[in-house]
Amino acid sequence: MALFRASEQLLASSARKAAPWLQSGIQILQRGLSAQAEPAEDEDSGAIEMKGIRLRGAPMYLDMQATTPMDPRVLDAMLPYMVDQFGNPHSRTHLYGWESENAVEKARQQVASLIGADPKEIIFTSGATESNNMAIKGVANFYKDKKRHIVTSQTEHKCVLDSARYLQQRGWDVTYLPVCSDGRIDLGQLADALRPDTALVSIMAVNNEIGVRQPLAEIGALCRERKVFFHTDAAQAVGKVPVDTSSTPIDLMSISGHKLYGPKGVGALYVRRRPRVRLEAQMSGGGQERGLRSGTVPTAAVVGLGAACEIAAQEMAADHAHICKLEQRLRDGIMGQLQGVVLNGPEDVVRHRYPGNVNLSFAYVEGESLIMGLKDIAVSSGSACTSASLEPSYVLRALGVEEDMAHTSIRYGIGRFTTEEEVDAAVAQTVSHVNKLREMSPLWEMVQEGIDLKTIQWSQH
Amino acid sequence: MPSAAEVKSLFRQFLRVGRKFPNYNIRHYIQRRSKDEFHSLAANTDAAAVEAAWQRAKSQLEVWQRQSVVYQLYGRKVKTVLELDQAAAARQHAG
Repeated sequence: MALFRASEQLLASSARKAAPWLQSGIQILQRGLSAQAEPAEDEDSGAIEMKGIRLRGAPMYLDMQATTPMDPRVLDAMLPYMVDQFGNPHSRTHLYGWESENAVEKARQQVASLIGADPKEIIFTSGATESNNMAIKGVANFYKDKKRHIVTSQTEHKCVLDSARYLQQRGWDVTYLPVCSDGRIDLGQLADALRPDTALVSIMAVNNEIGVRQPLAEIGALCRERKVFFHTDAAQAVGKVPVDTSSTPIDLMSISGHKLYGPKGVGALYVRRRPRVRLEAQMSGGGQERGLRSGTVPTAAVVGLGAACEIAAQEMAADHAHICKLEQRLRDGIMGQLQGVVLNGPEDVVRHRYPGNVNLSFAYVEGESLIMGLKDIAVSSGSACTSASLEPSYVLRALGVEEDMAHTSIRYGIGRFTTEEEVDAAVAQTVSHVNKLREMSPLWEMVQEGIDLKTIQWSQH
Repeated sequence: MPSAAEVKSLFRQFLRVGRKFPNYNIRHYIQRRSKDEFHSLAANTDAAAVEAAWQRAKSQLEVWQRQSVVYQLYGRKVKTVLELDQAAAARQHAG
């Protein structure tokens, strides 16, 4: 600290003598040197001001589907590789390379053992988006001479749908399976959709908006029987619900680091070796990761992913019990105090829904006012990717949720570090805010008088 | 195998390091998990399992100690709304 102050004084004294343009440069440098993180926080009043909104403190974070905070144990594993052990894991001629390579291989082992795989089946990528792109485009391109059809569902993540769209524009046929009202796909419809030239089925394990779990074992068995590869986007599932590739016939699986308390910018793709799945690399270069993903493997990030997977394996039972308890508390709290609240997705948290994802729609309130009013809790109306747009979520629309209800959905994300007090506060805030909005709403008044809104003939303009 | 007094002392150290975290969520997580872990350790009669858990806990404590410093250096300076509300309630109660 003393050294830091000395350098600050030195900079300031030299700045006085220097030209004005240099002074502003030094100020920028000083700002860069301080460890103060954005946004600028006013320590005296304890308030934060950003995007024209004044917050009295940090909001409670209940958006675990967007991203999770990094576990301190993960950061602890990563730090040595951001300090002295900076070697390129592909350097073969010196200590720096060897130690980094060992760290990467240990991480590969940790990821593999969480999902019951062989370490050779793990390819490190930059995240689940890259893994999904690589799996879908890679398999489709490799088998393109004989197979020109892929199957996916309407409620997949944008990067899966966009990869499918990309293939469609290049001549592939794509079937987008509809989903039932609870978000699960119909196995009969999937069986009907498969064709002799189907290369790949891509169905996500846990949905990021409504938390529905798809029947991976049944889908995998069907695909295996029809000799079609099965890819699953398990970004929201791995580390939270048990996923075992040794007992489930999954051929490719995408994993994300930052959804399981690991770092952002790292993920993995599981590629089965027996029976072998082949895919075309999407990145050309030095041939790292068995030629499937060129580019230097980021040692620190990969070590973080490995540590996150090991912690997830250890903590899964405890996390799950904690999250189930809080989920029950949240739902009982909100639904016990408010009428007209609908849970989107299945009720059954044992088999059909991941309990850390509670997506609720509130009838007779306006969606944007609701979410803007809940300033003290960080929640989202759906996926982070589409939260900027005002259109209702395509996932909820695919479930058959009416447009007005799709507009007023809030996704509460509960995780390892969420506390009971936070859930209680979220319940209290939601209830009071919904009540306040409904008091202003003429629609709510009509509903209270017993008028069915569906029977009203609105005058045409 | 550790004595009961040693286990108790390690447990206290976990609670102490947990309190040092300026981050509300991590502070609560360490307290909650430490209590669970030490309860199950106390109930465990398998000597080998207790020894393994004991060794793991000791290295775990070092991780939390290092990370509490990192969080003190780089953590957010502003408290969460929940902590502000609790502090206000405590002040009102005292006054």
